[in-house]
Amino acid sequence: MKDFWLGLRAIVIKDIVVELRAKQVLPTMIVLGMLIVFILRMASESSSTSAGAPVMGAAALWIAFLFSGLLAQERSFAAEQQNGCIDGLLLAPLDPGTIYLAKLVANVVMLSIFELIVVPIGLISFDLHVGGRWPQLLAVLLLGNLGISSVGTLFSAAVQLTRTRGSLLSIVVLVILMPMLIPASFALLVLFGAMPEQVGGTGSLAFVGSFRAALGYLLAFDAVFVVACWLLFPVVIQE
Amino acid sequence: MHETMAENRLTGPALNVCSVSKTFVARPVLRGVDLAVPGGQAVCLCGVNGAGKSTLLRIVAGLLHADRGTAAIHGFDIRKQAEAAKRKLGVVSHASMVYPELTVGENLNFAARLHGLADRTSRIEELLTLTELAPYRHDRAAILSRGLLQRLAIARALLHRPVVLLADEPFTGLDTGATERLLAIFDRFVRDGGAILMTTHDTRLGLRCCRRVAVLDKGVLVLDAMTDEIEPDRFCTDYLSYARSMS
Repeated sequence: MKDFWLGLRAIVIKDIVVELRAKQVLPTMIVLGMLIVFILRMASESSSTSAGAPVMGAAALWIAFLFSGLLAQERSFAAEQQNGCIDGLLLAPLDPGTIYLAKLVANVVMLSIFELIVVPIGLISFDLHVGGRWPQLLAVLLLGNLGISSVGTLFSAAVQLTRTRGSLLSIVVLVILMPMLIPASFALLVLFGAMPEQVGGTGSLAFVGSFRAALGYLLAFDAVFVVACWLLFPVVIQE
Repeated sequence: MHETMAENRLTGPALNVCSVSKTFVARPVLRGVDLAVPGGQAVCLCGVNGAGKSTLLRIVAGLLHADRGTAAIHGFDIRKQAEAAKRKLGVVSHASMVYPELTVGENLNFAARLHGLADRTSRIEELLTLTELAPYRHDRAAILSRGLLQRLAIARALLHRPVVLLADEPFTGLDTGATERLLAIFDRFVRDGGAILMTTHDTRLGLRCCRRVAVLDKGVLVLDAMTDEIEPDRFCTDYLSYARSMS
């Protein structure tokens, strides 16, 4: 257990130090995220109803998180390919699952830093207000972040470390993340006042039902996919 | 290093490869390879490109799975007891396995943490002295020359006091001085009781630091002999003409 924590901590710190020095991922993520927010902001200006801003705001934030997150995760294993560093990690007396968890933590940290910068920009651009519900907003962002990072980290390893490079794996990630994006979007819409706490009827958002249920779905998605990806990682990196 | 090697002594071979076979997309790369290397011995594994040398080393290191057969390091099966086996194994290849953004010291510290070394600081100092890298400890790996980078790779591989060292083309891109330093480090490792399995295209260099030579041809071990059983000069000449005929 001590080795697990030592190894996990060492890889997370190394990833963050390498990124702070190389400045390869975070600046690109921020530029991409801001571009998405500003383009959708301009698109929402042409909307005839003022109710469009929260909807476009929530969409802009999730699109930014998703694509910037996938960009960062793809880089996290690409960096390990340099100088055969991935072999150095695999030669360490660590369970391969530890490497996955360490990469996941590093990716969650990167996406959190990105969210800290882009969310205020999104809130100001779309004139969005969450009232006093900052803890709920943080919970939704963190759960969404963990969902995107759990699947993205596994598929990044699959794309970078195996011979499946250039395949349609990135599209598969987006399809897998769809069940998470529905409650995540619902939760942001509720927080931005674009939807009531509870909704009925039909449609994908109505299926979620309530804000509490949305948080429950996000939590369940994260739990299932963190465990599944952790178990699958040793299989994915095999040869 | 002497004390640790003594603690690590084992009655059986330090490295044991039993009937290892591997096929890549219907092409057999290794066919039932058997090889046992005791402590205190270095084996030079020769073979033309595609003979299966690197594949064998990757299987022994646990980076690749054999279709059949087993590999054990210090008695620990590399598949079933991977963590214990990896604690006894060091690997050097033409890829340095170091992060260019980190300094020499940070790279070694990271490797030491991955291996859970308790005496990190003193061990890193020991290795920096052994590989003559102490003056470069605060330099980022990105600015190191090929020779210095290879010395850092060696320091990284020896950091956790392995009993078996796998070296895949370790002399690639090194100048004469760097090659001599590397040979001296290998020699000291073997004298201290370690086992080396080394692949190289430069048979003369290989035979300088190895007392045993093995030749892989199309995935089959066709020669396994002590260097005093063969004529090194004639072996090198014959091997060279064989390699030319195969290329």
